[in-house]
Amino acid sequence: MRRLLLKGLVLSLLAIAVTAVVAEPIRLTDALGRAVEIARTPERIVPIFASNTELVAALGLADRVVGIEAYTRYPPEVLDRPQVGGRLGFSVDAIVAQRPELLIVTPSRQAMHLLIEPMTRLGIPVIVLLSRSVAEVMANLRVVGRATGQPERGETVAKALEARLAAVDAAAPAKRPRVVMITGRLGNGLVLVARADSYTGDAMVKAGGRHALERTVVAQVSPEAVIAADPDILLFAGRKDELDALIAQPGWRLLRAVRTGNTHLVARAEFLIPGPRTVNGIEKLAALLRRAAAP
Amino acid sequence: MKRSLLLPVVVLIALAFGAMAGHDWASPSRLVSALSGDASLQSQLLMVWRLPRVLAAALVGALLGLGGAIFQGVFRNPLAEPYLLGSAGGAAIGATVALLVPLGLPAGPALAGLSFLGAWGATWLVLAIAGLHGRPDTAGLLLAGVAIAAMLGALRSFLMLALSDDTVNLQVVLSWTLGGIQTPDTAGLLLLAGLVVAALALSLRLARGLDLLGLGEEQAFAFGLDPQRFVRIAVLVGAGIVAAAVAYGGLVAFVGLIAPHLARWWAGPRHAVMLPASALIGAAIVCACDGLARSVLPPAEIPLGLITALFGGPFFLLLLARRLRA
Repeated sequence: MRRLLLKGLVLSLLAIAVTAVVAEPIRLTDALGRAVEIARTPERIVPIFASNTELVAALGLADRVVGIEAYTRYPPEVLDRPQVGGRLGFSVDAIVAQRPELLIVTPSRQAMHLLIEPMTRLGIPVIVLLSRSVAEVMANLRVVGRATGQPERGETVAKALEARLAAVDAAAPAKRPRVVMITGRLGNGLVLVARADSYTGDAMVKAGGRHALERTVVAQVSPEAVIAADPDILLFAGRKDELDALIAQPGWRLLRAVRTGNTHLVARAEFLIPGPRTVNGIEKLAALLRRAAAP
Repeated sequence: MKRSLLLPVVVLIALAFGAMAGHDWASPSRLVSALSGDASLQSQLLMVWRLPRVLAAALVGALLGLGGAIFQGVFRNPLAEPYLLGSAGGAAIGATVALLVPLGLPAGPALAGLSFLGAWGATWLVLAIAGLHGRPDTAGLLLAGVAIAAMLGALRSFLMLALSDDTVNLQVVLSWTLGGIQTPDTAGLLLLAGLVVAALALSLRLARGLDLLGLGEEQAFAFGLDPQRFVRIAVLVGAGIVAAAVAYGGLVAFVGLIAPHLARWWAGPRHAVMLPASALIGAAIVCACDGLARSVLPPAEIPLGLITALFGGPFFLLLLARRLRA
């Protein structure tokens, strides 16, 4: 009997200890160096921006997403969730109405300034992620894994993606082609290019390309600079009709890449949304660059 | 050097500077070899891309100089500038629609056409509102212009927010509003040159009226000018000229304000001389500033409107200080 009581006591203590472990708050430091404490494993998440939604979904947690913003297009299963803003800013009310237990934001479109302060006051933890390189995107997967109570899953998903990146790197041609990636056209005739110090530019290098343009402090570049750089390959993140309209402009026919048919489209979703799908884009671009480099 | 030759020489120097300046500087010998039909990429780039743009910059500058001079003459106000009567706001609405709404039209003509229509349409609207109760006077025009400009600004901001999405961002419209010369194709360049010739001819026809208006409305009336009718015609001509400049170069700040002042200091107040002088000065300023925009921060290009305000402002202040001292 006494032994039975002792057993019960030990089991009870163990149960209390386990509960204590489970109830232990999640503590982490986000990309801005903010110490964030998440009281319990968040079951209701609002990721602001498409990239953050994709990070959450990549960890198999799409069912926890309870709100998205207007520009989120992927994955399909979250598109029916309530919209909390996007086109004309973000609604604190709409976010709070979803009773989120975690908000994931990126310093873009005023989201940080609009949301961190009110959410903090309401006791809703917010983590801020930055995506300045592909490595940082991988690190974000781990951060989101920890923030959602799934650190192993975050590690596993990130490692699998990193292994694919390593395979791409191993197969890269010895002579890397010189590439310019245009990510947009501006109203005043300038073009936006993927900068070397941006995540898009980094993804292009990871795929085996080399930046044909020198470093630039702003992304908007004179077409003259692109034409003068005369890259081996011209990439365009967008639709074919947009690319055709661009190379119909004066001067673009001078480009070797245009004359030899070395202009290619890349998917905006894979190169302009810093999420896991970028690795798909890098693999496709790597195959394209290997074909182009083949004698 | 004869005084009358000074301005054309300044414009030629600005054109040469514009042709040399860019992502990489072209030496005079490289310009000469490009002009003599050299087939290298650098030479072709100069001929196909840079020279048309330099010429377009000069022509846009000429239009802004003319437009500014007409507006300052009509309103007899040294602060009057080409975008005074809502033409900037109207043009920006047109450009916003062209840049953000898929219209199924070729992008270049749609942008130029809609910004032109916007600029001119806004001025018509101002004239109509100011003239609701009889003929418009300049004070009524100014007030109507301010109100319309504010409304158009708000409408543009709303359109930018509502129409942009993840594939077309706000930067597309914002960069347009900061000005920038597009490199036109040959047909576009010829059309622009034709517009400048027409603008100069129309402006010179307004010259005597602007001189008379400078004496005051009663005096002008005594000399046989119908001031209100003249103001309406002059405003529409000025707005049309500015709309053409906007269609080719976006909203280029400051040039239309300072070119007429410089022209007045150099050529005196008679509009028959001052108007062409203002056109030449505007051409030189935009040409030089566009050269700077293309060469200050290669391979990036700074929006032209920022350069005209950043560099034109201090230069104008310097001249103003010297003039006030004298």
